[in-house]
Amino acid sequence: MALIEVDHLTFAYDTRPVLEEVTLAVAPGEKLAILGGNGSGKSTLAQWIAGWLPRGTFAASAGGVNIEGRPWDELDDATRAGTVQFVGQVPMQQLSGFAFTVRDEIAFGPGNLQLPEAEIRARVDAAVAACNLSHLLERDPFSLSGGEQQRLSIAAALAMRPRALVLDEPTGNFDPESRDALLAQMAKLPAELAIVWCDVTLGVPLAVAQRFVLLDAGRIAYDGDAAGLLAHPRTAEIFGLPAVAEAALMLRAQGLWPEGAAISADAGQVAAVLRPMLAEAAR
Amino acid sequence: MAVAHPSGADHALLFVPGQSVMHRLNPLTKLTCVLWVAVAAFALPPQGTIPLALVAIATGIFAGAGKVFARRLILTLVPLSLALFVVHGILVDHAGDRTVILGLDLSHDGLAYMVRILGRIAALLSGSLLFVCTTHPARLLKALDAHRFPPGMAYVIASPLLLLEPFTQRARAIREAQMARGLNLEGSFLARAKAFPALLMPLVTLALADIDHRAQVLDGRGFRAMPHRTVLDAPRDSTAQRVARWVILISIPFLIAGGILWH
Repeated sequence: MALIEVDHLTFAYDTRPVLEEVTLAVAPGEKLAILGGNGSGKSTLAQWIAGWLPRGTFAASAGGVNIEGRPWDELDDATRAGTVQFVGQVPMQQLSGFAFTVRDEIAFGPGNLQLPEAEIRARVDAAVAACNLSHLLERDPFSLSGGEQQRLSIAAALAMRPRALVLDEPTGNFDPESRDALLAQMAKLPAELAIVWCDVTLGVPLAVAQRFVLLDAGRIAYDGDAAGLLAHPRTAEIFGLPAVAEAALMLRAQGLWPEGAAISADAGQVAAVLRPMLAEAAR
Repeated sequence: MAVAHPSGADHALLFVPGQSVMHRLNPLTKLTCVLWVAVAAFALPPQGTIPLALVAIATGIFAGAGKVFARRLILTLVPLSLALFVVHGILVDHAGDRTVILGLDLSHDGLAYMVRILGRIAALLSGSLLFVCTTHPARLLKALDAHRFPPGMAYVIASPLLLLEPFTQRARAIREAQMARGLNLEGSFLARAKAFPALLMPLVTLALADIDHRAQVLDGRGFRAMPHRTVLDAPRDSTAQRVARWVILISIPFLIAGGILWH
């Protein structure tokens, strides 16, 4: 059974639909990237997946989201918190407003679940290591830079030991060094943790995800592997051909590109090279 | 806790780091003392409130918070003393004797009233200062959580202190953005008054959006999912302090009754 199932979801904040007939399932441990341009509905879909929607007057026109077959609102607060964690785009908004130090911010969630002290300390230590925050532990969370706050938000989410982590443009505030450090740490996260990574760029999600959903004007335009994504006509239109070529370069840096093969700025040529290579890798 | 070079919310705090007895007391014990002082300030006559204020000030100096005490007490009590002296000592026609000193016709009852009010405020202020100078809010929150107070109560204390700095930063950013768009904030009073809504509206709108988002963050992190929270590094408590708190709390009704009988 899928961990998260988005079932024919149609949603609008006012009259214009933001999501239309969106259907997708996230399996336990799956690494999924939801990609799209500005206004494509990524953040809204991320909030639905994370259970932040529906709320108040915001409700689906049709469809909904289920967690292992149960609607979000049937789950109690502690189960919800332990199932999916969401990290949004604006770092300062992710802070609880309850903690005077980075350490307390990370311990805030596990503390809410009334876990034993030893368990909380173990979770905090692991999250601090994963997000490289050991030198900031006694700082006030609101005094950190945007990138540091984003790392803190991710650490706080990881400390909840969720089964799925939904990240909405998580590296938008990162310098390249911090981004690479986070990606290295992401690779060390438990295999059973499902990751839903929403982004407006191709490069970083390619390093994280195995499955890619291209969202275009609130509809799923593509759902499949990296080769298919790079070959999709809307990919080049949304992200630009240089981004497609850059993505291919990134794959080469990871050893996923054939030795000696030229990297073209043409999406079709890139896909032609990628398809057999990824098919072989999958075998 | 507070760092050597405070940043963020610590800028807005009066907390003075230290290791004095007052710093080491459990925050709830100190909070109980503040409650007792607040009641005593109204129940006791000036012969009680003034020594109480002096004891609090001496304790504050001993705890290393002398500068904070001096600054806050001078800023508050000096203008207040002057105002009370002029209004009640000279202007208000109190019943009773009057004395002329240096050409000023002073009312005895008016001056006694001034001393009574100043004694109350000095006791209240110095008692509160002693608490905030020796208690970092983080320790207070942990003490509340450790004693199983509702998590919402601790949040009400923490969030204004923590969110003040980001809110100020945002107000500054809005001001600069609006000025860059041609809003006149340096003209006459009328011009600035006209510009005020253009500053206020985005600030309020963003604050409301923030509230919604932060509520989601709190829900997402399981806030109030359980009736109580587990706290790391909770402030130390002892049987002696627990007994002291109960004794102080039980004494409060007697203090009130004594104050009523005295009057």
